[in-house]
Amino acid sequence: MAVIFLDSNKVEQLRNTLNNDAEFKLAARLMSEDVLLEVGDSSCIVRVREGVVTEIKLAPGSDDHWSFSIKATAESWDKLLQPSPPPFFTGLNAGMIRGNLQIMGNLEVAFAYYWAMNRMLDIMRQLQNK
Amino acid sequence: MARFDRAGGRYIYIEVQNIEYRVYFEEGGDGIPLLCQHSAGSDGQQWRHVLNDDEIASRYRVLVPDLPYHGKSQPPGSVEWWNEEYRLTRSFFIDFLVEFSHALGLERPVYMGACMSGCLAPYLALEHPDEFRAVIGLEAVLRNEEVPLDYWDHPRISNNYKAAAMWSMMAPGSPERYKWETMWGFSQGGPSVLKGDFHYYFKEHDLTGKAQQIDTSRVPVYLLTGEFDPAASPEDTRQLAEQIKGAKYTEMKGIGHLSLCENPETLKRYLMPILIKIAKM
Repeated sequence: MAVIFLDSNKVEQLRNTLNNDAEFKLAARLMSEDVLLEVGDSSCIVRVREGVVTEIKLAPGSDDHWSFSIKATAESWDKLLQPSPPPFFTGLNAGMIRGNLQIMGNLEVAFAYYWAMNRMLDIMRQLQNK
Repeated sequence: MARFDRAGGRYIYIEVQNIEYRVYFEEGGDGIPLLCQHSAGSDGQQWRHVLNDDEIASRYRVLVPDLPYHGKSQPPGSVEWWNEEYRLTRSFFIDFLVEFSHALGLERPVYMGACMSGCLAPYLALEHPDEFRAVIGLEAVLRNEEVPLDYWDHPRISNNYKAAAMWSMMAPGSPERYKWETMWGFSQGGPSVLKGDFHYYFKEHDLTGKAQQIDTSRVPVYLLTGEFDPAASPEDTRQLAEQIKGAKYTEMKGIGHLSLCENPETLKRYLMPILIKIAKM
């Protein structure tokens, strides 16, 4: 099963859910950044402007830019998005510590909006298992 | 009629390494002194569930100090601390706990710590076997791999980061209200405090070649680590336990790195048999 953020049939649902989620709106309220989500060689860009997810762009091109990326293998994303993830796959920090995902690029921005990214991952997990 | 919490708080002045500190602590219960030390980057509020547990309070006098620079224990008044970077050293940490115990006249307290203060538990057994009746280390490891620390105190990154970073350190099944309460504690620390505490945790904590010298016949050592702990994994703590002859190691199922406060019911299930055993010693 494709991860939700690479599924063309579900990215709009993901975008709408994020934009209607009270916690994400609070955590991302000052965020205007592009985030690259990578599954092996596949990826998408989540564009956020002043806390609103304006676009989830599948298969970004070489002229697309992003502030930071969150990368994991398909096997790791599968565990990260399980309804009750196993040890060391419970989220961003646990994954980073154990080498199960990488956050790269502008880490100042990534860590400034860590709360928003936590919530985005939680919502992706909810929708992945709906 | 008003409902009061069991924990009562007050301040005590103690001198550590020739500097006087005004130290806030809370206590509750009667019996054997149980000295509970909070984790890196937070304060004594983490132990509120242990402080308020009837079964524990019937056997133990629970004491919870805020380390200087944490919670209500402000930086010292006699030092221009704003001109220097805050760093917790192992020697200060150990001396603080011994001085705190002496100042209150505690008779061989049981020590319990979590995360960085859990790592300190074997050190106390090693260096002060006559001061403590037993030590309990939650999430203790032999040593920690050094990691970059600059982002933990950065002018463009708020304390939100410290709180958010703790979210996945806890188990997915731990109650959400306790996970958020735990994160709230991490968001309240002074900006430089978590990074300064990590100086001990990542740089000075190293029991390699020392753990074998701990004499558990003088001070029993109990080590407990959560199944979901990514920082001190059950395997990491098991390796430490194997170095300490006679140490008792338990993996706690369904709990993560902040076991002292993320799921009080689960912690108690593992902790209470140990506290009962120590009380009978």
